[in-house]
Amino acid sequence: MATSPAIEMQALEHRYNSDPVLRSIDLTIEHGEIFGFLGHNGAGKTTAVNILTTLITPTGGNARVCGFDVVRERAEVTRCIGYLPSEVRMYPHLTAVENLEFFARLSGVEQPRKAARDTLDYLECADLGDLRVGTFSSGMRQRVGIAQAILHQPRVLFLDEPTTGLDPMGVRQLRETILRLNADLQMTVFMNTHLLSEVAKVCTTIGVLSHGELIYKDSIEATVARFPDEATLEDIYARVDAATVGDLP
Amino acid sequence: MIGVIARQQLLACRRQNLAPVTVVVLGGFAVLAGILGWASHHTIIGIYDESVKLVTDRGQTAPPNPFLLKPTLSMLSNEMIYITVIGALVAIVVGHLAIASDATNGIGRLVFSRPIRRRDYTFGKLAATGTILGAGVAVSYLVSVAALTVVDRFPTGGDLVRLAGFYLFAWLYLMLFAVIGAVALLLLRRRSLGLLAAIGVWLTLTFALPQFTSGLRPSQSLNPIVDPVPINQTLFRITSHVRPYSIAEQFKEAAGRILATATPEPAADTWLRIAPIVVAFALLAALTWNLITRHDYSRSNPE
Repeated sequence: MATSPAIEMQALEHRYNSDPVLRSIDLTIEHGEIFGFLGHNGAGKTTAVNILTTLITPTGGNARVCGFDVVRERAEVTRCIGYLPSEVRMYPHLTAVENLEFFARLSGVEQPRKAARDTLDYLECADLGDLRVGTFSSGMRQRVGIAQAILHQPRVLFLDEPTTGLDPMGVRQLRETILRLNADLQMTVFMNTHLLSEVAKVCTTIGVLSHGELIYKDSIEATVARFPDEATLEDIYARVDAATVGDLP
Repeated sequence: MIGVIARQQLLACRRQNLAPVTVVVLGGFAVLAGILGWASHHTIIGIYDESVKLVTDRGQTAPPNPFLLKPTLSMLSNEMIYITVIGALVAIVVGHLAIASDATNGIGRLVFSRPIRRRDYTFGKLAATGTILGAGVAVSYLVSVAALTVVDRFPTGGDLVRLAGFYLFAWLYLMLFAVIGAVALLLLRRRSLGLLAAIGVWLTLTFALPQFTSGLRPSQSLNPIVDPVPINQTLFRITSHVRPYSIAEQFKEAAGRILATATPEPAADTWLRIAPIVVAFALLAALTWNLITRHDYSRSNPE
């Protein structure tokens, strides 16, 4: 299984009714990568994450996570992934630890309460443990959301717009957390984001999705080398997004 | 995994005070039925005692005590009305809330990104709903036994079994309305609309259909009166065919037979009254599972 890529999409397609949202995506992400998935609103990034986290079934092609098919081997896929949606919602009347304990039990963690507390400790927010989630700010909710995504130590972590609702300090903490998870636990990270400054600081590889088509994929180093005239990743993104695939260097 | 879901749901309901409120409401109405039974008992006995005095003073023979002619459990006959009116409404709310936050608030996205089968999830939710309503019904049972003991005497073994049978049947009836609450939400995908639709179904089953199938007597919706109008008239003969769908009516009539407060009938006829409720519950529970399996938990609609 170690030889399988962390994430693999082959001719992946999805339609909502008759509207195509993803058009024949071919993409491979190796273990240990931090992949930034870029694209404007409605490009299909969240749909791709929904398919990879088994929440929806693709209408065409196939996708594998940790070597398991997202449709036929759903249970195996969900055992090896963690997922943080763009807007974290939990049971508001329960404390952070109670919420985390529930998700740990769902993932089959042996000592769920200990895992919940240890994860909050790891994320340096143990003080939130006994407070009810309904009283949290969006930043606090996001941190507990990250805790629920990693408490069972998944091999692949999906983050959908993880910086939503975070203040600048929160964004910095999130960046440090992603780098720590990648370094400490060798977690592969798949991140949908708009925040190009963070992508430049965190990601090892990027992909650009436009109108459901993957129009670019390469490592950060190769990307910077490929566009020597562009000063920032934002400039590169603007150029990639405006160009057709054949126009790119 | 069923236990994990059920435990979580019970904890959430306890924190939202839904579980205690359900138990208090169901138990409270059993208390009310007991008080009304005691009040009517007390009033009638008072009148009877006065009458006996008056009649014996005139040298006439006093008639027997009317309460000795009535079945012991008739004192609790109001309880079957509370179950169909208030209990069913409470059950709709319990069923609705069991599904609502996961289906519309986006929590389902996190739940179903975990290795859990939707079948286990459905059974877990049903188990939690059944436990909450079961607790309410169990408290009602104990309150009813206490009420009978205070007013009359400790019920006989037969009465205790009849009472247990009635509350078991009431629990099934409440579960039916809980799944109506869940199904309405899953079909309409909006909390307010789902709750409104379920209440519409409750109104139809509790008030409209019984009225239509029982001789157009509005009072029958609120009182356990059986067949106030004979069904030899053409209209009532036709509408009587719809009676199996009049779930509330079937409940009241079957409950009357279980408690032995209504005119006796062959056991097979009573089972025929219970069957539509069992079938409706089984079908709607299966529909709940089917809708949960097909529900798109990647989308949230917090309205």
